[in-house]
Amino acid sequence: MKTKIKSLAIKGIRGVREKFPLTLSGKSILIYGDNGAGKSSLTDSFEWLYYDQIGHLSNEEIGRRKGKDALRNIFINDKEDAFVEVAYSNSKLDCTKNIDGSLTVSTSNTTAEYEKYISNSSTENLILRYRDLVLFIIASKKEKLDTLQNIIGFSDVGSFRDTLKRNAGRIKRTINAENFNNKKGAQQSIILENLETNAYSPEQFIKAANELIKPLALGITIKSFKDVAKVLKQIESKDDSKIVDEISFQTKIEEALTEFEGNIDKLNKDYKKYFDAYTELRKDPDKFNKLKLLDLLNEGVSVLEDDVVKGDYCPLCLQEKNKLQLIKQLNKRIEELEELETEKTKLEEQNEDLKEFVKSNISTIDNLLRDKNLKEKENSEILKKIQEIKTTLNILATELKKELLAKVAIIEPNKIAFDKKGIVAFADAASKKVKHLADSQKKNTKLVIYSKLLQANLAYKAYRKIERQQDILTKQQTTFENLFTDFIKRQEQALNIFLKTFSKDINDFYTIMNPKEKVDDIKLVPLKDKNDDLVGISIEYNFFDETQRQPMAYLSESHINCLGLSFFLASVMAFNKENHFFILDDVISSFDRSHRARFAKLLIDKFNEYQIILLTHEKDFFELVSSDVKTKGWNIQQITWSVEKGTGVEKASVDSKGRIMKKFEDKNTDGLGNDIRIYTEKVLKEVAINIEASVPFKYNDINEKRMAPELLDSIQRRISDKSTELKTAADIPRIKGMPMFIGNTASHDNDFQASIEDFEVMWDDIGKLIKVFYCKDCNKFISTKNVDTVKNKIRCGCKDEKLNYDWKK
Amino acid sequence: MSDKIKSGKEVIDEFFSEIYNVKNVDEKTIEALVSLYGKNKLTDTNIQNALDDLLQKELDKIEKDENEN
Repeated sequence: MKTKIKSLAIKGIRGVREKFPLTLSGKSILIYGDNGAGKSSLTDSFEWLYYDQIGHLSNEEIGRRKGKDALRNIFINDKEDAFVEVAYSNSKLDCTKNIDGSLTVSTSNTTAEYEKYISNSSTENLILRYRDLVLFIIASKKEKLDTLQNIIGFSDVGSFRDTLKRNAGRIKRTINAENFNNKKGAQQSIILENLETNAYSPEQFIKAANELIKPLALGITIKSFKDVAKVLKQIESKDDSKIVDEISFQTKIEEALTEFEGNIDKLNKDYKKYFDAYTELRKDPDKFNKLKLLDLLNEGVSVLEDDVVKGDYCPLCLQEKNKLQLIKQLNKRIEELEELETEKTKLEEQNEDLKEFVKSNISTIDNLLRDKNLKEKENSEILKKIQEIKTTLNILATELKKELLAKVAIIEPNKIAFDKKGIVAFADAASKKVKHLADSQKKNTKLVIYSKLLQANLAYKAYRKIERQQDILTKQQTTFENLFTDFIKRQEQALNIFLKTFSKDINDFYTIMNPKEKVDDIKLVPLKDKNDDLVGISIEYNFFDETQRQPMAYLSESHINCLGLSFFLASVMAFNKENHFFILDDVISSFDRSHRARFAKLLIDKFNEYQIILLTHEKDFFELVSSDVKTKGWNIQQITWSVEKGTGVEKASVDSKGRIMKKFEDKNTDGLGNDIRIYTEKVLKEVAINIEASVPFKYNDINEKRMAPELLDSIQRRISDKSTELKTAADIPRIKGMPMFIGNTASHDNDFQASIEDFEVMWDDIGKLIKVFYCKDCNKFISTKNVDTVKNKIRCGCKDEKLNYDWKK
Repeated sequence: MSDKIKSGKEVIDEFFSEIYNVKNVDEKTIEALVSLYGKNKLTDTNIQNALDDLLQKELDKIEKDENEN
């Protein structure tokens, strides 16, 4: 059972000073209030209750504490509590949220159920204000995607997709940095040197090891690595340990330098590639510097969207500028800069890869430098060379730490080239040294074989380890890449299903409000970049049978607002799982009369199951829809503001007749003439429709603006032609002569100045006129639908024809 | 995959329930991911640690095998 509101009370919040109660009983409510009457205080209270913030109060001027500083009514003293108290259809959720004089917030309901309810509600679409109507429409493609993903909980999907992608990338970088093939090559060259053959498998190694130990005639056949260890132990001689150490050391030098030498080309190539891309991006520093504006532009958009700036001007240069256009222009610039940001990110990834590779090489060299043998005097030259390599690697690491926009550019590649020849020479020298040491001990066959088997065994173990590491990492990388591909497909499919359904609702709602117009087939379309990655969402629609993607370019403000409203209502329908109510705060301000009427119809027809809190400061709209929604069981209320009480409830008349009666009761002539005129026009329209009294053709909403004199004329013409009895009974010339009906449209806002007694006489005369046409027994007007062609009579809907007049054929 | 609108959580849950059907993937890596997801600990650091553990175990195994055989 989704949640509705039974009642609420607000005290001391924003414009509400004294307790302001509203009883809803789960029903919708139409609330009218002038600007400043406190409608927004009601909306603010809900926003604070559900989202723990008031967006439009959270700007710099008021303070960043989510608007709390401005939340309490300024006229209440510090000891008084300010609160929002809500009773729900599920009483277990009833809660009072309080903010005391020290701005400490507390809630009366601390149950897990309420906590869960508020947490779930915080992601639902519960409030729409006029200023937020078009936010989605004018948002950048990325913002649209982010907004939708947040609404449908797809932010988790995006985050999981990024996790898969990031890990695949990280593993790939590790594989590149390790340069496994080069490492394996270095180990194989040691194996080759010692066993005179390569060994890529245990079988190959064991076969070669058996060949190696043959001259020793040990009577042992090596079958496993355990046997290799046994043989090594058997032929090891403590007397030879010094020379074996020396051979091991030289082998280590050879191995490390050979491995490093194998990395030099890659280091040089990758650094050059990075240098070129780095230099290219720096060529146009202005363009690149603009990236620094990205945060400013984003902040600018949020300042405009949050309505911190009220008027149509740029908050920076203070030039006059349409706010919507300004937001649109800012979003366009943001999108351009985001493309540049993508290039920058690519360069940063290149930088990360190279850093990792340099780090891995530094680690190899550091490992070598830790060998105690390097401290021996005879090794000073090789130490110098290794330190030289380390210094160059450190320079490279330092260059890679430089920021893209640093004043000094990174060093050119030719200035940090490695002495490849020198390194090869040292590796060769180490190899020769090993050979020389072995040759010097030629007669000591056991030592030679021991040394060779030891080095080959160590190299093969290292080789196997590197191979396995490469294998595992490659598998992990492939796994993440394949998972990513599979997940992307699922994400796209789920998003497309959602967009299709969601687009249909938006299109339906929009076309209900704008029938027979050349805008249709509105849909949300996913956008991908050149790498096939989902980067945004665009609004697509047919405009005069051509597909367009720029709502701002072709649609009027009123139509764009309709689109925004459609998006909100579609979101309510699709995603509000917890709550069955929503608040619309002054959303129809830019709508003309026909859009307003259709909007009301949309709410009544499609959202009848929902509890709607509809706030308006538009008297016309209030008049227009109050009768309709009343018949659907809505509450109707007017609110006013006074210095003493702040926002308060004024018992609203459900329609203009109720309001007129109340004014007579209160002897209040303020606006009474206008109320009587509006009421009379409404009734005369019904009379004209029922007796088919024609008025001249007028377009669309102008057609609605029929003045009483025009209607009275047409009714008079019609009944003069058709019915003598009616003509006499109605006595229209007398009504037409009333002062309030002598005038034109321009005079409508100016009430006829008369006493309450004058109005009572007029009201009485109008009542008599209505009685001529309207039967209070069947609640129907006399109508041409009820013409008796035999008796030549027009009558009401009663079976016994209580109200009837002659009617010519 | 049905045509029903799914929440983000449903998309991820469904992916994990069918993750073993994805072709050309390493079973041990998948097991590690499923385990982290089940514990609601699917972060970059936890994934990296789990993968490093897997790698280390494999490398230790080679060494053990070679020493014993």
